[in-house]
Amino acid sequence: MNSFVIRIGGEAGWGIATAADIIAKVFIKAGYHVFLHKEYASQIKGGHNYHTIRVSSIPIAAPIEHVNVLLALDSATGEKHTTFVVDGGTIIFNDSVEIRTTKRNVHYVPLQITKIQQESIEKNVANAIFVGAAVKLCSIGYDILESVMEDIFKHKPVLLETFRTAVQKGYNSIEKSNTINFPALKKSLSLGFYTGNDAITQGALDAGITFHAQYPMTPVSKILHNLAKDAITTEALTVVQPEDEIAAINMALGASYAGARAMTATSGGGFSLMVESVGLASMAEIPLVLIEGQRPGPATGIPTKTEQGDLSFVLSAGQGDFPRVVIAPGNVQECYTETKRAFYIAEKYQLPVIVLVDTAVAESFVTVTLSDDLHIDFSQRFNIINTVGNSQIKDGMFMRYEGEPLLRTVPGTKNGMYTCAGDEHTEVGCITEDPTIRTSMMRRRMDKLNLIETELPPPELYGSSDADVTVVCWGSTTSAVKEVVDTLNSEGKKINLLQMKYMCPFHTTTVHDILKKSKKTILIENNYSGQLGRLIKEQTGIAMHETITKYNGQPFTVDEVYKLIIQKW
Amino acid sequence: MVELQDHNSTEKPNWCPGCGNFTILKSVQKALTELHCEPHNAVLVSGVGCFAKLPYWTKTNGFVGLHGRSLPVAQGIKLANKDLTVIAFGGDGDGYSEGGNHFIHACRRDVPITYIVHNNGVFGLTTGQYSPTSDIGKKSKSSPLGSTERPLNPLAVAIASGATFVARTYAGNMSHCVDILTKAIQHDGFALVDVIQPCLTFGKTTKYYTERVYYLDDKYDPSDKSIAFIKAVESEHGQKIACGILYRETKV
Ligand SMILES: Cc1ncc(C[n+]2csc(CCOP(=O)(O)OP(=O)(O)O)c2C)c(N)n1
Ligand SMILES: [Mg+2]
Repeated sequence: MNSFVIRIGGEAGWGIATAADIIAKVFIKAGYHVFLHKEYASQIKGGHNYHTIRVSSIPIAAPIEHVNVLLALDSATGEKHTTFVVDGGTIIFNDSVEIRTTKRNVHYVPLQITKIQQESIEKNVANAIFVGAAVKLCSIGYDILESVMEDIFKHKPVLLETFRTAVQKGYNSIEKSNTINFPALKKSLSLGFYTGNDAITQGALDAGITFHAQYPMTPVSKILHNLAKDAITTEALTVVQPEDEIAAINMALGASYAGARAMTATSGGGFSLMVESVGLASMAEIPLVLIEGQRPGPATGIPTKTEQGDLSFVLSAGQGDFPRVVIAPGNVQECYTETKRAFYIAEKYQLPVIVLVDTAVAESFVTVTLSDDLHIDFSQRFNIINTVGNSQIKDGMFMRYEGEPLLRTVPGTKNGMYTCAGDEHTEVGCITEDPTIRTSMMRRRMDKLNLIETELPPPELYGSSDADVTVVCWGSTTSAVKEVVDTLNSEGKKINLLQMKYMCPFHTTTVHDILKKSKKTILIENNYSGQLGRLIKEQTGIAMHETITKYNGQPFTVDEVYKLIIQKW
Repeated sequence: MVELQDHNSTEKPNWCPGCGNFTILKSVQKALTELHCEPHNAVLVSGVGCFAKLPYWTKTNGFVGLHGRSLPVAQGIKLANKDLTVIAFGGDGDGYSEGGNHFIHACRRDVPITYIVHNNGVFGLTTGQYSPTSDIGKKSKSSPLGSTERPLNPLAVAIASGATFVARTYAGNMSHCVDILTKAIQHDGFALVDVIQPCLTFGKTTKYYTERVYYLDDKYDPSDKSIAFIKAVESEHGQKIACGILYRETKV
């Protein structure tokens, strides 16, 4: 059972997200894996929002197209989503709004929302009534629902009371004869339920972050919210919401220079403002972790939707040649691991590390236990020294920009003074225009990429070892492709997947060798121009045989990827 | 014991002879010495402009970043390590034009750093274009018929934006500079020190400033915001330029 889907739709401000959250957690408590995908408009009240809860007995992380149970709080939900409801599926609807569609072989289950609300003290509890009905429909015991609610409204007893009353009315209004016999799983899996943003937050915390500056922007605002909350109890953590993204990155750079483990996060628009400062970080050799959450652009684009359109931008953004690291995690687990890795690489090699995610991975929830096999001890500092010897001093200043390994001091260190310089500089950081020094400083900085490449795990093929087709993808798209690769291989086809995670430095030789042996390559990307394909061509000289792109603001669904791969086979 | 020479670099500044930046550099070093601040416990943060090279000519920790961005960097440093003495530098172009947004918000945020603005009324390093503090009518390469823009009043902006220490001093008077900087560095909050700095190559003459500058005496009460505003606005008539601490909020 890997494809049971419940979708809830209604207007912004109706508590759709809370309802989806509760339903998802009920299934998790019942022992299932859940993938929760939120589609919302860039407006606070009104508009059409819908959240999709995919339930499975095996791990899943991608959307699929069909819906088993549709919870239609308004008529728009009925109109837009009835077409996805499967044969034998159910539509639960508010009996006082008109569901203008009818579909054969679909059960229509009305809820007397108006009547129930008239009897209640609280009037805005339609979401709770639907939650109760949905859980009952799936034959899940009320005790599970009760414990999830108690957990969610732990600090809001009054809200719990009203919510519970409404939930019970919804629960009791579903006839036994209408229920679906959902296979009960024996044991609960005790998994976490996280978005990419949550995993990035946790990764940063586990890597010992002490400073975060961020100007709010979808899809990564939740990182700011999470860390602001964590800062209340974590004394060593400072979180700032500054006046703009230029301030955010420069504050992070100042903090990092002064010894903090620092991060900033933004989307493509904010990153555009940060670009000059990314160059500064690299030039002055300051560690920085920068999360870039892609959404469709240009300009404001479609603020709340997904795309993978900033890859070329982050790879080349900036004035002149300078080293940067670009890592693109493909799922929530990787968001965690790669954020930690980013902190390590940034601190050790003293340069900006960009973690590139997309809305689909940043904002979708999956059931997962966050863990990693990095074996990095973040209680120690990498390449920061506390004492400076005479041989490291020239004219009273610390020769910070000289030598291997790359060592730095932080201000406050006796004899550790140097100028952290955005101008081209000498070994102590003094401004210079000397051509010889310029050349050697450029080499010093650029050579870091060769060292870093050896620290990053090279890409590996997933799936059949003797494949007829190799699919190449990156970011959130990976989860849908992976599922399709599993399905096709189990159906007797031979297919594998090359997920690209490390965009810069790029494992040129490994990727070249893999692709050279591939019989047929299909590139799948959530953007218009096939930016990863271009990067691979540039790095290896190899062009993909087929390219599939999508740029309508929606992520690839599993069904869609399946169909497209078969078409291109 | 901290000696003045502890802050001295072996590098020699390459500013034009007679530039006010020399006085400001020396005043900063004197103030730090008077406050017994060791070079490794102070950080001088600047941006881009003639003024911005100042950290290169000291033996103190320095951070020379981007044009207009010294304030966010300096606040980040202070927030990361409150034990450091953090001084940010700006130019009238760098700080009041490119970094104008940071200026307003640093006033509001009140992170305890000192912000020294070398206000010479021109873009020096880019060869003399008019700046936000140039007078109406200023003729320059980019304003051949004279600028039509009204000058920004940085002290009034700072007071209106919630700054808790707002002062002006004059690069033609080193002892006043040192006195004001010492007090600014000691202030427990964001402190703006706008330094009137003659630019002998592109700006007004020293004589112009010397004739207009006067110093607030002990009778002046800097705790009254309305009076501070009046003092700040006074210079807009182009006749009198009050130097001293115009506004200081006494914290409870
Ligand atoms: C982003 C950016 N824009 C423009 C410049 C060019 N630039 C360098 S210094 C400067 C103006 C400097 O004027 P000011 O801040 O008043 O300093 P001064 O040279 O007068 O001391 C400009 C526009 C730059 N370095 N960076
Ligand atoms: Mg100037």
